Amino acid sequence: MAFYWYQSDPDLYRAEVQAMNKFFPSFTIHQLPDGSGRLYWRGKVQPAGPDGMVWDLMLIYKNDHPHAGASEYGGSIQILPVQPRLKDIATRMMPILEETYGSYENCVRHGFGLGLPHIYRDNFGRNEEYFICTADPKYFKTGMTRSTSAASSLSWACKWILLCEMWMNGEISDDVALEGNY
Amino acid sequence: MDNNDVVAARRRALQEAIHSGETVMVSPTGQVQLPGESDDPTRPGISVPQGKLA
Repeated sequence: MAFYWYQSDPDLYRAEVQAMNKFFPSFTIHQLPDGSGRLYWRGKVQPAGPDGMVWDLMLIYKNDHPHAGASEYGGSIQILPVQPRLKDIATRMMPILEETYGSYENCVRHGFGLGLPHIYRDNFGRNEEYFICTADPKYFKTGMTRSTSAASSLSWACKWILLCEMWMNGEISDDVALEGNY
Repeated sequence: MDNNDVVAARRRALQEAIHSGETVMVSPTGQVQLPGESDDPTRPGISVPQGKLA
């Protein structure tokens, strides 16, 4: 009996690998060592180009891939920045935001409750980690013949990273960063 | 225009393209680019699907 999506749908697994090898050939696929059976891609990107930051990312499939529940931001592929760690960046940004908005409660009201735009938190191993909200669930395709791949999710994540770097550099306003037309 | 100005102008163009919903590409190294910016025309990169951030 096939327990995991990559066993029950080998064509989808092959399509995922093919897309990643084509568009992001430096990424490699692994299985989490926690017994969950979850697969993940690991690799580095530099969304702002040669002068920008290097981001070491994990793209982790949920075992119900492809799937996108109403509150599953980014669908069944979670993007976890390993280095830099979002939680560390958010911790550094929070005091600046609190100064800007006057209090933590006001930061929450303005959408900056976690210290960065468009992120969410979830348990990962023994830690709580911050993940990138790559796209509203309604944009994550889950059909039998067409589903959002890790390659597409990674392209969304690269756009998010560029946005985040621009926002931290003061190149775009809080409102534009939160608007999410990125 | 010195190099810093060129870089800043490119970033503004990229920001405007993204914000107005125009197509942007992502190269194999993860660099977000305007269409046609790729150094290697045989590998133009992946076109970022439409989608609003959650």
